[in-house]
Amino acid sequence: MKRSITSLVMMALLAISLVSLFVACEKKDDQIVIGANIYTFADNFMNGVMKPELESYAAGKGVRIEIVDSEGQQAKLNDQVDVFITRKVDVLVINLVDPAAAGTIIAKAKAAGIPLVLFNKEATERGVMASYDYVWYVGTNSAESGIIQGQMMVADWRANPTWDRNADGIVQYVLLKGEPGHPDAEARTVESVRAFVDAGLQVEQLALEADPNWSTQHGNDKMAAWLTSSFGNRIELVICNNDGMAFGAINALKAAGVSLPIYGVDALDQALTHIADGEMNGTVLNDGVNQSRAALDLAINAAMGLSVTEGTRWTLSTDGSKAVRVPYLPVTPSNYQEFRN
Amino acid sequence: MSRGNRIKLSAMGKEQWKELFVKNAIYLVILAIIIFIIVREPAFLSLNVFRNILTQSAVRLILAFGVGGIIITQGTDLSLGRMVGFAAVITGSLLQRADYASRFYPDLSPLPLFVPLLISCAVIAFFSAINGFVVAKFKIHPFLATLGMMITLYGILSIYFASGAPGPQPIGGFDPRYTEFVIGETLGVPNLVIYAVIVSIVVWVLWNKTTFGKNLYAVGGNPEAAKVSGVNVTKTIVLVYVMAGVLYGIGGFLEAARIGSANNGTGYGYELDAIAACVVGGISFSGGIGKVSGAITGVLLFTIISYGMTFIGMEQYYQYIIKGVIIVAAVALDAKKYLKKT
Repeated sequence: MKRSITSLVMMALLAISLVSLFVACEKKDDQIVIGANIYTFADNFMNGVMKPELESYAAGKGVRIEIVDSEGQQAKLNDQVDVFITRKVDVLVINLVDPAAAGTIIAKAKAAGIPLVLFNKEATERGVMASYDYVWYVGTNSAESGIIQGQMMVADWRANPTWDRNADGIVQYVLLKGEPGHPDAEARTVESVRAFVDAGLQVEQLALEADPNWSTQHGNDKMAAWLTSSFGNRIELVICNNDGMAFGAINALKAAGVSLPIYGVDALDQALTHIADGEMNGTVLNDGVNQSRAALDLAINAAMGLSVTEGTRWTLSTDGSKAVRVPYLPVTPSNYQEFRN
Repeated sequence: MSRGNRIKLSAMGKEQWKELFVKNAIYLVILAIIIFIIVREPAFLSLNVFRNILTQSAVRLILAFGVGGIIITQGTDLSLGRMVGFAAVITGSLLQRADYASRFYPDLSPLPLFVPLLISCAVIAFFSAINGFVVAKFKIHPFLATLGMMITLYGILSIYFASGAPGPQPIGGFDPRYTEFVIGETLGVPNLVIYAVIVSIVVWVLWNKTTFGKNLYAVGGNPEAAKVSGVNVTKTIVLVYVMAGVLYGIGGFLEAARIGSANNGTGYGYELDAIAACVVGGISFSGGIGKVSGAITGVLLFTIISYGMTFIGMEQYYQYIIKGVIIVAAVALDAKKYLKKT
């Protein structure tokens, strides 16, 4: 008994040591090395769209990129940045976990003299981008996704008078918000609804739920609960600030045998399938592919000491945010096929 | 490297060598991983890496001491992460720069640093004491008692977090005095490391040189026997949870400044890291066994491994496999030791 447990343990440990030997990749000396992270691999969009594109685009450019999982913990990201700095990567490409912690990361990069490209989550603290010459941001204009989503919803609402189920002329909606404090969540929540108001339509918010993980499970659970609530039969529209939560809500709608107009943001492959199946009415392409490319284009230029946008199709914003903003695109039942891979 | 074996090196036979090898197998394998990392990337062997590993271990160690004491009493603490998060949010909310745009308390004048520290320790010790009381009085398994606390506390901390002037926004823009106090250096040594050393000494004294410490091991080893021999079991258990609460309070205070921000998600999952470090360091779930040096070793090992594997650029999915296997392997060895004892 004693011997067998011991040998089993030793063999297991030997096996992992060997695995680690094989998986650790070779590094060429003259190659640009990029230290990057994803705020959590549990995020469908970040792990499913941006990470693969970062890897394949870097491979195409002949640079080495190491992408670590910050597991949704800013503390973990801080530690990972320390590791990247001590192993002297040429440039950092960082997806903040907590946008308020940008100052700490920028200070670390500055102290080490390593250029830094932040992407997808923009620093919230004012003036922090000005504290270091070699920090830039690649993302989107948060408000734009909400505006586009809102315009799609308004056009569809007008085209489908039956959507006003109680015929009171008011849009009764529920909203799945995503992470409180995340600039995208906050901006989309405001802008998508504002589109109705701007178009002269009255709105009534029946419920709003936030979820720090933007998760499918959350979308499902909240939608299921709403459908059984006192206002369940008054819901006319489901607004989701990302596709992941919309998938959950669609699942709950199907389980309850209810069909409601539902909109997301991100245009994940699964969303295109839902649109094709008539289960989803629209989404907004958060162009992760081009955000990944822009982040790497800037990072590689910075590592080579060039002006960051040199030789690229990106332009830096002129408002002091040192940002490249990749545009959003509307995805509807009439154009979704263009976005299929 | 001490897992309780005190064998004289001079008089060791084959069997004893084997036993020594088995008892320290986990350390030998980890040593092998470290050597492997150094061979791959010799730059790993640098003062900066060493400093970083110690700095990154500091807060984890303080938290591991908290839950380590509880594990010695055959308990566990799933609410650790939320407690740390609450402490981080409390201290963060009380220590923002006066000129920061979105302050939690817009009109708060600068406080001496020890005030938020004491408040956070007191609040967390209170909630942790409830854990201890529920466990000791109602004989609820600590896993369930602290699971309940973990969920409840998330609600309470989120309410507090959302109650600030700017709403539920991540709390940043800390007072430079606070940041400097935590991430600064004294005579070239990172302050965090100094605090961890001080806490280690205090915990060592509490565990080894006081009546509380004696009772802790007695209750952990055999609660019935301890009761018969006149130890106040309830009081001992509540005290160990209070001590854990104070340590979490300190940990949260340090963590907020180390990260540079705090929100209601801060600390999420820390309990598992801390418990894993304790177990790998030989603090046994069967109770009554565990040393300060064990917690230190466990925490350092995990930091070294995660630092080293990122350092050599290993794909993260493999890192999870290695960490997971190490935890189970360590527990397997631990359980074997326990079986032999009885």
